Amino acid sequence: MEAIALSWWAVAGAGALLLLHGGLSVALGLGLEKRLAIASARTVVQLTLLSWILVPLFAWPQWWLVLPMCAVMVALAAWEATRRVSRRYPGMLAGAFGAMLLGSGTTAVWGTLVLLQPDPPWSPRYLIPLVGMILGNALTGVSLGLDRCLQDLDEGRGRVELLLALGATRWQAARGVARDAVRTGMIPILNAMSAVGLITIPGMMTGQILGGADPIQAARYQILILFLIAGAVAVGTLVAVGLALTTLLDREHRLRSDRISRR
Amino acid sequence: MTLTVRGLSLHGGERVLASDLGFTLAPGQTLLVRGPSGTGKTRLLRALAGLDPVHGELLLDDRPPASWGWPAWRAAVTYVPQLVPVLPGTPADLARRIGRMTGKEADLRPFAAQWGLPEAALDQPWTSLSGGEAQRALLALVLARDPAVLLLDEPTSALDATATRAVEGALAPRTKVWVTHDEPQAERLLSAGAQVLDLGPEEA
Repeated sequence: MEAIALSWWAVAGAGALLLLHGGLSVALGLGLEKRLAIASARTVVQLTLLSWILVPLFAWPQWWLVLPMCAVMVALAAWEATRRVSRRYPGMLAGAFGAMLLGSGTTAVWGTLVLLQPDPPWSPRYLIPLVGMILGNALTGVSLGLDRCLQDLDEGRGRVELLLALGATRWQAARGVARDAVRTGMIPILNAMSAVGLITIPGMMTGQILGGADPIQAARYQILILFLIAGAVAVGTLVAVGLALTTLLDREHRLRSDRISRR
Repeated sequence: MTLTVRGLSLHGGERVLASDLGFTLAPGQTLLVRGPSGTGKTRLLRALAGLDPVHGELLLDDRPPASWGWPAWRAAVTYVPQLVPVLPGTPADLARRIGRMTGKEADLRPFAAQWGLPEAALDQPWTSLSGGEAQRALLALVLARDPAVLLLDEPTSALDATATRAVEGALAPRTKVWVTHDEPQAERLLSAGAQVLDLGPEEA
């Protein structure tokens, strides 16, 4: 079964619904018109650009093209993750990059080299969508985890310092903060894994089914991806929160509130 | 154990609040810290506990904090904040938790009873205790852990006269640095032989 080829006219027809959305915003004074226009434009531009990059990449699947592309995606994800955090600390972007690289890198390597085994292993047809989906979810986990961690250390400073004052090490004093932050980062993917199939059909499975794939194969792919994503979110969030705590509670077991700033 | 402080300066952001502070506190001695608000009294206590970066030399029995390790230093030179922060659980929970962390259990009940704090209060959530109850519960927890030196930031600010005198009685034999705005209390500490450290605006 071949998928129905999509013309720009069909896409524009879907875009017509945005006029309804925009009209509603103007009529009710929601003030969302501008953001709606920017978000719509970004959707079109970013996805079209991506497709232009993917066409030659699929035609010419060289590792020295595919892997730098993945590195750029990791960097963009790290930047986007820190942009969503309402507080800052020195080194947060580098920390998020490390967390993203470790979380998505290990799971993507596992997924391609061991599980899917495409030929070649860096085959962009598999690697790029895989890394993209993993990063999209890992960045949510990392940003939620960092946000919670920095908020708890900032607003709950007295609590952490009391434990330190009574003789706790920095890891003992920060344990509660770390646990809550990692848990917060994991919640979206856990929720998604619980609701999947009952309420939602995930984007990738939808895409495969629309593209004519066997639903049983599509479901298997989706399960594999969700497990890889969950692993990447766990590792990424843990690393990001761990690096933040290492910076914000120094070697002398002292809480460095002076290193936290609000944006 | 003897606490020795040499050449300590206190910083509030970019400002230097005090410089070249020094004193020696032998076992059982009290250092009364006086000075208007904003002159660094709390900063001094936090610096002695190493909760803020330390600019100067600290020694306990001739050993610097680095040789003790900061957690062991703070267990020996313990800062008691004026306000009890928002805490989960009960005072008894916190005592058990600190006991597990430091490998040293301690019973805070004897102190609580002495200060008119009902024993049941130790098993109530911190959030349901009054300011005075929370202040006594925290102080009881610290005293039960028997630190060598206490760093007290207005330890009776939320207490009535009776409880204040009871707490002062329990603290009398301790080695301590005591910050207070309560003039009669300062007089009592002085007549009991406290040394004095006056913090004031830096001379221009």
